[in-house]
Amino acid sequence: MGRSLKFNIFRYNPEDPASVPHMETFHLEETDAMTLFIALNRIREEQDPSLQFDFMCRAGICGSCAMLINGRPDLACHTKTKGLPEEITLLPLPVFKLIGDLSVDTGTWFRAMNEKVQSWVHTDKVFDPQAPEERMENQLAEEIYELERCVECGCCVAACGKANMRPEFMGAVAFNRIARFMMDPRDQRTGDQYFEVVGNEEGIFGCLGLLGCEDVCPKDIPLQDQLGLLRRKMGWQSVRHLFSKLLPE
Amino acid sequence: MVFKHDVVIVGAGLAGLRAALEVAGNVDVALISKVYPTRSHSGAAQGGIAAALGNEEPDSWEWHMYDTVKGGDYLTDQHVAEILATDAPRAVYELEHLGVPFNRTPDGKIAQRAFGGHTRDFGKAPVKRACYAADRTGRVMMDTLYFQAERKGIKVYPELQMLDLIFKDGQVAGLVAYELATGDVHVFHSRVVMLATGGYGKVYKTTSNAFANTGEGVYIPYRAGIPLEDMEFVQFHPTGIYGMGVLLSEAARGEGGILRNGSGERFMERYAPTIKDLAPRDMVSRAIRTEILEGRGIGGKDYVHLDLTHLGEQKLAERLSDITSFVKIYLGIDPAKELIPIQPTCHYMMGGIPCNVDGHVLGGSQEVVPGLYAAGECSCLSLHGANRLGCNSLLDLVVFGRRTGLQIGRDLAGLPWQELPRNPERPALERIRKIKERKAGEKAAHLRSRLQETMTLRCSVFRHEETLVQALSEIRSLEERYGKVVIDNRGARFNTDLLDALELEALLGLAEAITVSALNRKESRGAHSRDDYPERNDEEWLKHTLIQKTDGEVRVFYKPVHITRFQPKPRTY
Repeated sequence: MGRSLKFNIFRYNPEDPASVPHMETFHLEETDAMTLFIALNRIREEQDPSLQFDFMCRAGICGSCAMLINGRPDLACHTKTKGLPEEITLLPLPVFKLIGDLSVDTGTWFRAMNEKVQSWVHTDKVFDPQAPEERMENQLAEEIYELERCVECGCCVAACGKANMRPEFMGAVAFNRIARFMMDPRDQRTGDQYFEVVGNEEGIFGCLGLLGCEDVCPKDIPLQDQLGLLRRKMGWQSVRHLFSKLLPE
Repeated sequence: MVFKHDVVIVGAGLAGLRAALEVAGNVDVALISKVYPTRSHSGAAQGGIAAALGNEEPDSWEWHMYDTVKGGDYLTDQHVAEILATDAPRAVYELEHLGVPFNRTPDGKIAQRAFGGHTRDFGKAPVKRACYAADRTGRVMMDTLYFQAERKGIKVYPELQMLDLIFKDGQVAGLVAYELATGDVHVFHSRVVMLATGGYGKVYKTTSNAFANTGEGVYIPYRAGIPLEDMEFVQFHPTGIYGMGVLLSEAARGEGGILRNGSGERFMERYAPTIKDLAPRDMVSRAIRTEILEGRGIGGKDYVHLDLTHLGEQKLAERLSDITSFVKIYLGIDPAKELIPIQPTCHYMMGGIPCNVDGHVLGGSQEVVPGLYAAGECSCLSLHGANRLGCNSLLDLVVFGRRTGLQIGRDLAGLPWQELPRNPERPALERIRKIKERKAGEKAAHLRSRLQETMTLRCSVFRHEETLVQALSEIRSLEERYGKVVIDNRGARFNTDLLDALELEALLGLAEAITVSALNRKESRGAHSRDDYPERNDEEWLKHTLIQKTDGEVRVFYKPVHITRFQPKPRTY
């Protein structure tokens, strides 16, 4: 017989004036190889069909199912109940707009972020269908790939002290994106152009260096390194800005 | 509400995005998606995208075309395979230009690896043709294209589910969609609807597919009287994680992984002596099922092992990091040291909405349905024939997604706005009202489990007239029971109980189409393997199945295969 698990789950429908935020308890017997995703589906199917949470691929690639699991942001689909105590508390990710219960709107946040950092290769080269690929060192390609592995789950944003206080703070995910494009020789943006985007308090200079982001990234992206790199580069950039103001050409 | 756009694309995975990028700027285009776009299932594609770049060793588009045709067991329409193979290098270079971080060769070109069924010199030996970004090629391609869509400011309506297509005088006039967040039913008035809704693996119990892959995008045109093509051809991927169905990329074997049975034997040597573990998926899945049925599974059970232990930790970390990580998480197994239990899992639908090479949907008499287009897994070109090769799907999405977008641009001038019929949303509202008001009956989740079990047991890797007849009678009884489906949640917001019930109608209809098509095809070809007709029979069956439903009556008819360069030969590897 498996353990008897007790789930404390946050319930609230922000659209319903009669709804009050509260915790609701569900009990479930643990089965072999149970993930939180399986557990939540069983609760919804067997106990309460109105329970809201997000899910899609159940294989850790779509990034839909992040939530606070006993206080820590993580993906429900790759969290096994076996590694958790018998009492499991589930809350929606903070910072993002609550849709209901455990479901939050990460999509709007990420689209706005991607638009702000202009998350695409900027180049004036026109694609020539006759020409072969531009050459690139494999090591560089792998380094870019390493940062490209973000699945936009929102865990790093939820774990960020600054983002929790200041919703306009861009968060590690945005810095990771910028670092990815700065590294990519195909992107022709200059230091100044990157500085425009992240060289401010909403951006890299607002980071408190708490590094909650790196601790919780379910994909183990080296966010700390990107923060360090961006700070150094943008720090230089801001010194250059200062000089150019003091010493006009 | 009524929304108005020239072009509405349903589905924001790779095919939909690629088409949208082609159309945007010239006309008003909008994407609607059941999920937030970057959660689309194209992102789950792991292994790579095929193109005869010849970066690692000599390769040619003709070999690629031949492999595609032979992989499809000669049911592939060859003029379509030719377009795919010749356009592939351009498609990959374009993705590289947009920023996809492909792995590289020592001299900085796009790296390539071996993949099932891709060979050099017309079948002589495996060839390295799959371009890849570790084991996450689909996700990085999709993110890259989605960011391009953001750059172009393409309007996206996330979490909207299509309920009906609207036609006026035989031309598309738009569609009806359900908004998950509010429960509202909206009308999209448009001159063009493009379907790019993906597959429907949820018809089966064990599948690599995500939860949204329930096939409304294929079922809704079928319900409206448009035929479906080659529905009996369902691909089972050989290496799903045992018990879960989660995909372990074929790249694992492309990088040197080996399948072993209960006695540790590399059994693929007996089934495909030349290319062994890199045989096409249908053959490997049959081999695994045969080993299991003949008692050579692991410990006599219903799985075999994937052995990656000899690849070494570094290769696993560099080339197969995601799958290594989920094997560790889900199974508690370290692939560098232990063998991975696997079993075939429903992965891809070769069949779908019949289309020509420019994405036009074709009706019952092969006529173009004005204003309706499709691309990607929901469509049937027929490019993949009776069995798709790995890495040809991502390629299909960007090649034919783009072609469809281009064609829409060319056709628009001749597609005037059609006046909407009165209350086009009424039938959908009626269906929802009936489900919500019903007091007694069965839950959709229960009926769905029965359907999935039936299909997995009776209509999967191996088939037989007896099991297919049983499956059909069970599906029809489930369809009857579906008439009394009930839900407990009658709320408006994110009512998954209601969505389950609405989706089940599609799953049932498609399961029926698969089973009827399978019952009628009295031969074995590609992924369709009949115990009672074990041989391929070109004389009678070298033709595409079409199935059409009009006034509740199912009609099966056929159309010829397009053969250009390669005459059918026995298919051995």
